[in-house]
Amino acid sequence: MALIGEIESHASAAEKFNKDEARVNWHDKALWALRHKRDLAAESVGGDEWERLKQLGSEIKLHTLSNLANYLQEFEANCQKNGIVVHWAKDGKEHNEIIHGLLAKHQVKKLVKSKSMLTEECHLNPYLEERGIEVIDTDLGERIIQLRQEPPSHIVVPAIHLKKEEVGELFHEKIGSEKGASCPTYLTKQARYHLREHFLTADAGLTGVNMAVASEGAVVVCTNEGNADMGANLPGLQIHSMGIDKIVPNLDAVGVLSRTLARNATGQPSTTYNTIYKGPKAGGEMHVVMVDNGRTKLFQDELLAEAYKCIRCGGCLNTCPVYRRSSGFSYNALIPGPIGIAVSAGDDETHSMAWACTLCGSCTKVCPTKVPLDQIIHHWRKVHAKEGKLPYGKRRYMPLVGRLMGSEMMLNGSMSVARGAMRILPDAVMKPFGGAWTEHRELPKAPKTGSFESWFRKNREEK
Amino acid sequence: MKIALFIPCLVNQMTPHVGIATVELLEKLGHEVILPKGQTCCGQPMTNSGCYEDAKKTTLKLLNAFKGVECDYIVCPAASCLVAAKENFHEFDCSPEATAVIGKLKELTEFLHDIHGLERFNKPFNHKISLQMSCHGIRMLDLATPSETKGQSYNKVEALLSHIEGIEICYPERRDECCGFGGTFVMDEGAVSGKMGKDKAQAHADTGARYVVGFDPSCLMHLDGVIRRQKHDVQTLHIAEVINMAL
Repeated sequence: MALIGEIESHASAAEKFNKDEARVNWHDKALWALRHKRDLAAESVGGDEWERLKQLGSEIKLHTLSNLANYLQEFEANCQKNGIVVHWAKDGKEHNEIIHGLLAKHQVKKLVKSKSMLTEECHLNPYLEERGIEVIDTDLGERIIQLRQEPPSHIVVPAIHLKKEEVGELFHEKIGSEKGASCPTYLTKQARYHLREHFLTADAGLTGVNMAVASEGAVVVCTNEGNADMGANLPGLQIHSMGIDKIVPNLDAVGVLSRTLARNATGQPSTTYNTIYKGPKAGGEMHVVMVDNGRTKLFQDELLAEAYKCIRCGGCLNTCPVYRRSSGFSYNALIPGPIGIAVSAGDDETHSMAWACTLCGSCTKVCPTKVPLDQIIHHWRKVHAKEGKLPYGKRRYMPLVGRLMGSEMMLNGSMSVARGAMRILPDAVMKPFGGAWTEHRELPKAPKTGSFESWFRKNREEK
Repeated sequence: MKIALFIPCLVNQMTPHVGIATVELLEKLGHEVILPKGQTCCGQPMTNSGCYEDAKKTTLKLLNAFKGVECDYIVCPAASCLVAAKENFHEFDCSPEATAVIGKLKELTEFLHDIHGLERFNKPFNHKISLQMSCHGIRMLDLATPSETKGQSYNKVEALLSHIEGIEICYPERRDECCGFGGTFVMDEGAVSGKMGKDKAQAHADTGARYVVGFDPSCLMHLDGVIRRQKHDVQTLHIAEVINMAL
């Protein structure tokens, strides 16, 4: 069970994470705190208003996705009017080539980047580094994991898997902060001094995009640290990378989605910095790279397409009881948690990702754009099952369960034996048959009577 | 009214007392109760794993047990199985007969609250209970507003039980977080499922309640196993048992 095609299944990675229960508790509480703050923020808007915003958000995104080609062209035309150069990339490779082309043309040696899950998705950093360009991630969390050479474990709080003591150790080793320091304020200041140097010496800045506004030919960037704005404003060359799903029709739509984005992510009424970039600075250049990279493939399925209503708030990760207790790395995918399963289970070679879920539905209910995440996850299970690619031995035992459950004679017979054994035999004998059940729980107490059906026959029908 | 019972395999085989309490309480309320023959399982273990072909025979067997049965409603004391039955019947059979069966399906709490309008109980239940708000009942069957949803809220489970004299209703912290059962999830994801169960059982025990009361026998069976393993001083009870004791 541990390895499926050389890659670890979710269950196996999660089991390892659960060896340290204190750390699981800490991880779970840190993320539940975000869910709790989200609840308070949602209530502060007014509960009914919050639900209206979710509905509106869902409709805006669905409408936009349904008319995507038109909005992308409108966006491009308006960008061009504003002096922004727009590039189209069909996949990560094209995206990286376009970015590298721009940087090479401007003889860029150092690029400051701010949070962009898309550039992670396209593996931009190693691509540029191999070509001699230094890339500095400038969000605190992103910088931490870059220094550790790790991928993000969460889409909004990428270093949530690390404790402050571990960050102190890392900073001491990599940026020369005091040994043993773990005070968040001190460590943040050290990061700030360290990053300030890079901002001042960078030749170009690249940011992700939270929303691209078709009617304006502008992109919206939301951060808490102001690093995206430093990166976009200081060097002459500014680049914004976006997935084609980030488009919204107009500023009214931005208004609606902005009201839920930060509230649902971290419980803040708004991110600290919300900038609308709608043209190059004097003497500078502004480029927007729009990337498909598999998105239009999922758009072909009516249900899967809804995954791209997502505005990447990370709320579904915070509420997911499985994510909180298994951590981001157990998913073996760039984006973990419910939305990660929704957009990447199709590429999951372990065929286990879609089963890292109890189908509790909390993600679907917490989502600010009503992405039917549990239905999408369930759908992926169907897809994998149809292809005969099932994890955890299901391919062998599910047909047997199907036959057993479909026959009264077989089910009644076997359950009667099981009840008898559970009543008579000592626990020690029964437990090995319980498998994963008895690792964490006692076996059910076998009922003293027979089945309900036999009771009903004796006490009602034969009376 | 004439009520046909939908008794899922788990209740039939492992928790017959839940079925017995359901029969007794419905009869006390003046309903006629019948048990259509040929029921085994709703197919959920298979469909939740994505294995629809393996579920088809089982699901259709259950559906056929109810087709043409003369009754006002088909009542089931297990929310998750009821949701699965509705979805799976629809998946495999779109005939008017199947649609008629789906239309009659009601979860027990839902039936007592929405259809019967139960408000009068005869006996007190002088205990503190911690309600187990299981996922499918809350988020798919709308038995109560889930904690993620804001604005005007309702709670049919509490509304029903609060009419019982002497009952004290409380909730665990993170009131509707999943208990980690999830069907085959127990086996597939043993570590995470075990941890979720442990946390949920602890949250219930921390309320100081005498009983954990819920409407989903599968979650209750899971929690009962964890509670006994962790030696918590609390017991599980199905809502049908509580209501039956109070009538």
